[in-house]
Amino acid sequence: MLNNSFFYLFTLSLFKNAKRYISITLLSTVVIFLLSSVLYISGSIKYSLQKQLNLEPDFIVQKRVGTRLVPLDDAIADKIVDIYGISEVTKRVYGSYFFDKEHSAQIVGIDLLDEQASKAFQNILRKEEIKSFLSSESMIVGEGVFNYLKSHFYPKAYNFFTPGGKLKKVKIFKVLDSKSALFSANLIIMPQDLAKEIVGLKENQVTDIALNVPNVDEQSNIRSKLESLFFSARVYSKKQMQEAYENLYNYKGGLFLVLYLVVIATLALILYLRYTLANSLEKKEVAIFRALGWSIKDVITLKSLESISIVAFSFLLGTLLGYIYVFMLGSPLLKNIFLGRAYEASITLIPHIDWLTLTTIFILYATTFLSAVLIPVWRVAVTEPKEALG
Amino acid sequence: MVEVENLNKIYTVGSKQEKVLDGITFHIQKGELVLLRGVSGSGKTTLLSILAGMEKPSSGKVLIDSEPISKLPDIHLSHFRAKKIGMVFQHFNLIENLTLLDNVLVPLVANRVGLKEAKEMALAALKNARIEHKKDAYPNRLSGGEKQRGAIARAIVAKPSLLLCDEPTANLDSKNSQSFIEQLMQMHKEGQTIVVATHDPIFETLECEHRIIDIKNGKIV
Repeated sequence: MLNNSFFYLFTLSLFKNAKRYISITLLSTVVIFLLSSVLYISGSIKYSLQKQLNLEPDFIVQKRVGTRLVPLDDAIADKIVDIYGISEVTKRVYGSYFFDKEHSAQIVGIDLLDEQASKAFQNILRKEEIKSFLSSESMIVGEGVFNYLKSHFYPKAYNFFTPGGKLKKVKIFKVLDSKSALFSANLIIMPQDLAKEIVGLKENQVTDIALNVPNVDEQSNIRSKLESLFFSARVYSKKQMQEAYENLYNYKGGLFLVLYLVVIATLALILYLRYTLANSLEKKEVAIFRALGWSIKDVITLKSLESISIVAFSFLLGTLLGYIYVFMLGSPLLKNIFLGRAYEASITLIPHIDWLTLTTIFILYATTFLSAVLIPVWRVAVTEPKEALG
Repeated sequence: MVEVENLNKIYTVGSKQEKVLDGITFHIQKGELVLLRGVSGSGKTTLLSILAGMEKPSSGKVLIDSEPISKLPDIHLSHFRAKKIGMVFQHFNLIENLTLLDNVLVPLVANRVGLKEAKEMALAALKNARIEHKKDAYPNRLSGGEKQRGAIARAIVAKPSLLLCDEPTANLDSKNSQSFIEQLMQMHKEGQTIVVATHDPIFETLECEHRIIDIKNGKIV
């Protein structure tokens, strides 16, 4: 059947029926565009998170009293170093600082004498800048924090309230690159001693201790040792952190997926009703083909090719428009649903496509679409031509 | 050419059964022109549909070119229909969004004819049916007579053994009906086997050799 005269009739039928198909194609394209946009955003966030998580330590040790976390003595770090199999132990200082009810920033204290922290800092400050940064009471701020301070206070410095009720003026030394804004929009980086003063820690106190365990097989064993290191120790692993982030974004992506399924089901219903309508043009066309000697297989092949063309076209167009909307236009509106908008920061989503999910969506969409079209066509095709012609 | 033996067709509607063809038997020789005559509801269209392989009989035997068409599975019956049967429908049944030329191509696609050859054959059929000048027109732009000629071109394009016409003049005025009859006689002269189901008295003036089979209440009378 699949000779050039068949393909001639197929292309003819497809283009002649373009008016009939245009509403279905447009509807399908919009559905695919929305879904692929959501997928691109969640995929890009997950990708960025994964990249960020790869930089995170394997374990964090914190101290929990009752239900809340409290600072811990930095001498514990020396005990941790002595555990065989542990490397890169880092004392960390951080805390939330509230500018007002709605706007807060995450203060991170960096010890530039610490090898690990210093290495991570190389991407942010040039060598010649480090001295100047340390000599003045300065901070490096995320884009969101900078925009907020600029519009509400001053663009060059900010007066922090210390827990003791004093004002501490800290200069803005640099603004972090917008490419990292997904994680750094609300970040304030400052020397560790300065951070301790603002978040209210004593000289010998830290917020937590980060460490790595290069041998993956040893991780559960070391976790037990860390937990028994001191009373009320809380050990938080990279895996737990990853799960917490994934649950957050999967939850939002899941909502859209449910919405997609509802839309797809509605689309299928519209198509099914359209193709089962009594005396519809499609029904008559199929009956004429059959009466003129086309077999059931021939008719199904023609209608399958027509449907596959619409599916492929709308899927490609929808995914392409989604890509442009998300990665080129910065996905206005939709991005805020995923990321919130406490700060005005130009968060750049790194282009990353989850091919497996995209393929699943295609299969789901194509199967639904083809079934909704081909089942009614098949029902007409198997009817005796005389009866189908009416 | 056509052998019909003790053909019966019963329609079941709910619990009610209606016998529309009752023990029909006749033979048609190659090149014959046969008129199936009867009033509306006499069963002639059903008989024509069974001869075209568009409907299965309830019982009985139908042989066309020695092929038992009532027993053929769908795939073979479709190929048989495409190859051996040409059908002119009462309501023409042209596909609205295809030009006349493309409408005439449809049976050739079922016959797996290549595009170049198919277009040549379709043009020849349109010429034969004297409607070549309307090849690029869509059916909604054609008069009843032009549609009829287009339907004839489509029916004869694959050079079928048997041409079946169902009430071919029912939707035509007297001038177009006369024109159709002339065309019919021409095809008969060329040796085409033709069966026409009709109750139009215009066929009584047919000026060529033909046979009439009268049907009443599903029986040959």
